[in-house]
Amino acid sequence: MTVATATEAVDCDLHVAPAAVDTLLPHLGEYWRSYIDDATIRMAAAAYPQGAGTTGPAPAATYDELVPFLQASNPRRAILSCLTMDGVHRNPHYAAAVATAVNDWLREEFLARDERLRASLVVSTLDIPAAAAEVDRLAGDGRFAQILLPVRSDVPYGNRLYHPLYAAAQRAGLPIALHAFGRGGAAPTTTGVTTTYFEDYASNAHIAQTQMMSFVAEGVFSDFPELRVVFLECGFAWLPPQLWRFDKDWKGVWREVPWVKERPSQYVRRHMRFTTEPAQLPADPEQIAQVVAMVGPELLLYASDHPHRHGDAGERLLAALGEEDAEAILRGNALAFYGEALA
Amino acid sequence: VKVVVSRLEDFPPGERKIVKAGPRSIGVFNVEGEFFAIRNRCPHQGGPLCIGRLSPWAIAEGPGKVTMNGPPRLVACPWHGWEYDLETGQSFMGPGETRVRAYDVTVERGQALGEDVRHAEEQPILSAAARASGREPGPYVAETFRVYVEEDYVVVEV
Repeated sequence: MTVATATEAVDCDLHVAPAAVDTLLPHLGEYWRSYIDDATIRMAAAAYPQGAGTTGPAPAATYDELVPFLQASNPRRAILSCLTMDGVHRNPHYAAAVATAVNDWLREEFLARDERLRASLVVSTLDIPAAAAEVDRLAGDGRFAQILLPVRSDVPYGNRLYHPLYAAAQRAGLPIALHAFGRGGAAPTTTGVTTTYFEDYASNAHIAQTQMMSFVAEGVFSDFPELRVVFLECGFAWLPPQLWRFDKDWKGVWREVPWVKERPSQYVRRHMRFTTEPAQLPADPEQIAQVVAMVGPELLLYASDHPHRHGDAGERLLAALGEEDAEAILRGNALAFYGEALA
Repeated sequence: VKVVVSRLEDFPPGERKIVKAGPRSIGVFNVEGEFFAIRNRCPHQGGPLCIGRLSPWAIAEGPGKVTMNGPPRLVACPWHGWEYDLETGQSFMGPGETRVRAYDVTVERGQALGEDVRHAEEQPILSAAARASGREPGPYVAETFRVYVEEDYVVVEV
């Protein structure tokens, strides 16, 4: 058993967020500045409830605030995720303008200051052609490593309405990254809005399962064979039973989806990856190793999820694995998956 | 061993017969004039494969772009929907899947069969209409015998 440290790792999910909407104003046009003023729009806290054990302190709002963490963790590469877009607004024009503003803020505040940093390219799901245009705008930047979407969407992500975005993602060579939580107006369960944060927090895994199946069943990887998808903060221990069921049912009802020509799990294993934080794992290190063997260590990417705190499962995961698997999860898998974007 | 299944004229296109040949239950199918025979036991969990639905291939160019291709030569086990090619017995659900035993079926003249043949015992099966309505046949079938000398026979080799 090796105790692997996260230093020199590729961190696939490191949070930053503007402290207030004012931060974004210089990156917005005059009309949107007055719209924000007229509508008294305030920045929603991306993680809630404030002060809860799982929330942690506020994400870094400036590069200087991020420096202590970077010094402590010394990442080889870190991919910044800004979830500020995951609001409750329904104005697609406003959402597209804010996405552009967030991306430009990320470039100016972080990417220009530290060559180890990459960013998740923020787009809105309310106007997919606008989202595709934003990907095209930044495709040549070279410092965006993935396209960030909330895992909880208004419509499952296999739906054809998203395909223009996937075409742009494939052109740019960028994976789609689905992060836990999401659109405030969408219920975290299929049966309605939960009463408590407790239920909402625990719901991300089954939303991820729905999205995973949607991508495969609706043939996204048949239309976009180079597209890749990474699930951030949605867990992974649920994969073995879900993939078994996915394959089994496909054998009987494949005629509904004849474009799914291989076992569904093969699409997942080829196109999808999952970050390690949070991990829902057994206490016994031997059982942790068994879970990882069933999942396949090649599917896992290290993430700090800083500053959010989900317990010590991420450390226990690395400690329970052999050197080769721990190395793959800390660096090798991510370097292979993101390719050029992390070079 | 050759097993006589039926008079040819009693076995028109679109029909199937499930026969007992020694210890085995075998489904014999006339698909658009071509005969196929396959073991009536799904290798997955032993389901009665040969009472299942027949379909052609469904070929997808991409999502939503599907054409049906060829004669209905794939039989789906009624238990879990696994499909097998009648000609080869092959399940096409991916590499490593099990194969059902398929048998050669010929049409031969009665005289040519000689003495060394066995006659299959036909097993009652649901008609297509009964299957569609989910009804099971009753347990009793009167024993009948018919004798033909000159006509063509459907013979299954087991």
